[in-house]
Formats: sequence, structure tokens, C-alpha cells
Amino acid sequence: MLLGIGIYGLTTKRNALRILFSIELIYNAANLNIIAFARLRDPPIVTGQVLVLFTIALAAMEASVGLAIIMLVSRLNVDIDLRKLTRLKG
Amino acid sequence: MTDLTFLALATVTIASAILALEARDLVYGAAALGITFLGMSGLFFLLDASYVATFQIAVYIGAVVVLILFTVMLVGPQMGEPPMELKRLSLLTALLVSLLLGTAGSLTSATAFPGPDNCGTGCDLIGLSKTLINQYGVPLEFLSLVLAAAVIGALTLAKADRKG
Repeated sequence: MLLGIGIYGLTTKRNALRILFSIELIYNAANLNIIAFARLRDPPIVTGQVLVLFTIALAAMEASVGLAIIMLVSRLNVDIDLRKLTRLKG
Repeated sequence: MTDLTFLALATVTIASAILALEARDLVYGAAALGITFLGMSGLFFLLDASYVATFQIAVYIGAVVVLILFTVMLVGPQMGEPPMELKRLSLLTALLVSLLLGTAGSLTSATAFPGPDNCGTGCDLIGLSKTLINQYGVPLEFLSLVLAAAVIGALTLAKADRKG
């Protein structure tokens, strides 16, 4: 369900920060799925939790780099409306 | 009892996730995102993943939400979203979302995944740390390298703007 909300936000929102929110929501949805499936096996295995530790750290790093990019773009241009930022140059 | 807790946590998480995307103000959206992460952490606690839940609180709420708030403050006040325009893309995403919701609803029935009540050695901290060090020690080192690369990249991005 969180995945659906994340995909909806990713495709319909124009603000770059909202898109980052949706990306984080998708990450969380995937993590929840991984942990739930690892827990509900018989017997429950610990590999799911290890994987989720890695993905949480990776998601945090990726969010920080993305935020740095958004901040830079907002310094060059005026607004961070992603439908207007369609050209790669300048 | 566990079902009630799960329902409450799931409702809070989903409601604040929707709020994070639809709030007028970006700061309210960031705060709602923090509440979403808190709800997720509670769900992790329910699934006997206490270390991951604490990790989630520390990393996501402690770092990511703080970063987002800083960026929102530095980017400045943005205009709100324009009124809803009916386009084909939004219709397609609405269809996809409803499909996903339907699948999720059918899978979350109580008899779909009967898990063992007692977690045993699959969820305790000792087993987790042993597996992490013994089997996944090399990826752990690579993770620290990637973390260093991300920090250097973010610093370079911040510096390049200052010079140029």
C-alpha cells in the first residue's frame, strides 16, 4: 500500500522535494516487505534484517546526495518544478 | 491485541504518508514523513526486528528528516501544487495504485501468511550480529566506502557552487 502511494506521488507531483518524499516512501515499503517476509518464514531467518540494515543506510545516502542536487538546482534557477527542468544543459 | 496495534500503526503510517505528499507546505510534508517513519519503526517492532527498528529511527528520523528540513529551509518557500488536472498519466497511476491496494488487501488476510508465533533464533540480536559479521562482513566494508563516497560527493556539490 505504501508502494502504491509512493508511485502515485512519484508520477504526479511536480515539486522535486515531493518526489524525494515518494522515493523514501517506496524505500520504506520495500523494507517492510523484506522484513515481513523474512519474519513469516518457517523458521524465521535473519537475512531479511541484515538486508534491510543495508538498504536503510543506502537510502539515507542517496537521499542526502539527491537533496544536495536539489539545493544546487534551486540556487541556479528559481523554482524546483520538475516539469520545467527538462533540459540537461544550463 | 497485536492486531489492534498493527491496525493503529498501519493507519497512522498510511495517513501520514498521504499527508506527506498532499500537504500544502513542504515543512508539514517533511513532518508527516517523519511520522510515517515512526509508524514504520513501530511496525518493525511488531515484526520482532527491534534492532532494525531502532536503526530506522536513528537513521531516518534522525538524519534524513533533518536533512530534508534543512533543504526545505534553504530552498525557500515554494508555491503550492496547482489544482488537480485530469490527465492520462494521473489516471494511469490511479489505476496502478488501486491495483496495488487490491493486491495488498487480499494478501493481508490473517490466513494468508501464518507465521510462527515464537521467533526463535531468527530474530534475536546475537544471531543478527553473527550473520552480519561472518557472512556479510565484506559488504559491510563496502557500505562504509559507499558512505564515504556519498559524503565526498555531497561536499563536492556544495563546494562547486561556491566557486563557480
